[in-house]
Amino acid sequence: MKVYDILERAARQFPDRTAVVHQERRIDFAGLYSCYRQAVHSLEKSGLNAGDRVGLLWENSIEYIYLFFAIQRAGFVVVPVDTSLKPDKISFIMNDCSARTLVCQGKFKRYLSAILENCTTIEYLFSDADFSGIKEGIRADRLSISPGDSNAAPVDDYLKSIDPENAPHVLTAIFYTSGSTGIPKGVMLSHRNLVSNTIATVEYLKLSEIDSVIVILPFYYIYGNSLLLTHVACGGCLVLDNRFMYPEVILDTMEKEKVTGFSGVPSNFMILLNKSSFPNRRLESLRYFTQAGGAMAPEVVRKLIETFPGKETYIMYGQTEAAPRATYCPPERLREKLGTIGIPVPGVDIKIMDDDGNEVPTGQSGEIVIIGPNVMMGYWNQPDEEASVLRDGKLFSGDLARKDDDGFIFIIGRKKEIIKVGGNRVSAKEVEERILENEAVSEAAVYGVGDELLGEAIKATIVLKPGHSSDQRQIQRFCRERLAEHKIPKYIEFSAELPKYQSGKVNKLALAKKS
Amino acid sequence: MAAIDQNTVRKDLRDFIIENFMVGSENETLHDNDSFMERGIVDSTGVLELTSFVEEKYAFTIEDDEMLPENLDSIDNLVKFIQKKLN
Repeated sequence: MKVYDILERAARQFPDRTAVVHQERRIDFAGLYSCYRQAVHSLEKSGLNAGDRVGLLWENSIEYIYLFFAIQRAGFVVVPVDTSLKPDKISFIMNDCSARTLVCQGKFKRYLSAILENCTTIEYLFSDADFSGIKEGIRADRLSISPGDSNAAPVDDYLKSIDPENAPHVLTAIFYTSGSTGIPKGVMLSHRNLVSNTIATVEYLKLSEIDSVIVILPFYYIYGNSLLLTHVACGGCLVLDNRFMYPEVILDTMEKEKVTGFSGVPSNFMILLNKSSFPNRRLESLRYFTQAGGAMAPEVVRKLIETFPGKETYIMYGQTEAAPRATYCPPERLREKLGTIGIPVPGVDIKIMDDDGNEVPTGQSGEIVIIGPNVMMGYWNQPDEEASVLRDGKLFSGDLARKDDDGFIFIIGRKKEIIKVGGNRVSAKEVEERILENEAVSEAAVYGVGDELLGEAIKATIVLKPGHSSDQRQIQRFCRERLAEHKIPKYIEFSAELPKYQSGKVNKLALAKKS
Repeated sequence: MAAIDQNTVRKDLRDFIIENFMVGSENETLHDNDSFMERGIVDSTGVLELTSFVEEKYAFTIEDDEMLPENLDSIDNLVKFIQKKLN
């Protein structure tokens, strides 16, 4: 069982079902399979060796989906590339993994010369545009693919026949993460990592062929990749819409295509709840929301479930290194467990451990350690980084948490996001959550800055809701009513927005550097 | 409301977009009809920043149902939208 078997089996089982909708374009599984086979055939003629890394620089589209599978089927390792990166960062990634091929969408032509200028390993380009002659010594082939008939034969007992145990622990994809240190890290994932996590996610979300999800998250981001794999696996439909900057357009698409799922990161939900007609929409076909990509403040979760009491809200936790899903909260337990990231996903074990690697008693805090078939193979060419998070096959997440008596996990902060204020350890997350309870505040980031007296002092950067005002004294007074004195931010600044990684997580490193 | 000077509006919008969203890419050409979305210039939080700038500068409110590409997704579209709102 390999990652591309997910598509091959879906094509056999559901040939006539719509697999992807992208604005006016739609394609069924038979058509998608046909495109995939043609792409595999073209890639196999490329002269690359098995295991060579192939960069995939393509925005969310029908083409991305079949190319993602085809690269792996042709025997190569797919490296999805963040399309929003500057050319020098893309060159860095290509060089880092020694990619010999870049599969590149024509729309990125304006950046391609700059990317190739600093790439030392790329020999071959594969694109929907003509890139011949773009750089001496680089061969360019043009992708010419159209949907045709699929010859895939049906299989019985579809999902049960996908057995993650049979998926080899062989490298098939490298996803680069922004990393809190600033240098991208290539997370190496195997067929087993991705297949096992896909099947676990399909199971707890109860996905089936009648499901369809609006995809606003990029596929190069592991959460977006999970949407791709889970919905192809269940024979569901991916409704692609890359226009989240205009939320009304997305909401219209959701209604028009009668999607059953919406998946987003916290900022997506905050924008929908505060800056769109989302709370007034009926969204009758929608069955569930999923949220991951960083902690969403309990106040926002509460607002979401109160606005849509009839929908299932899945709060989830994971990381690229866990392919990505590690926990989820069953929707029926969310109200009583507000603030939780839930319980382990099927097939995964989570332990809360102290610095010596011993499991801590229930209720005590420690580091989240993930154990299971989803745990990455390692970081590409970064053995020291790898050794710091992978020990005996266990993934040390860097997140601090505690388990309650029912086994539900509550994150209390990031290991590196503990601010040491005059000897006291302060969780940035705790202070952020209190600030977010202020009705004037839309977003808040709390982090440590150097302080002569305290060693480290707490600073908060705050985004106010439109039409609201506040000042440092008001916020400190508000915090003082809710927090111990040593947890009150010494510095407070107001900003129009917070710097964020592509994943939606706040880039606190940039904030701290600016201070 | 008096008619606005289109060229001034274009310049103000262009300056704001380049200063806030194209840092490090100032040498790239930005045409008045370029789609911010297609070019990847503005993201979902950037568009909120852009609308706050327009609201403050031209003293009107942009309603949620006006947050649409046809109103906001290029300098040309913004100029037309601002003119419509001020008239």
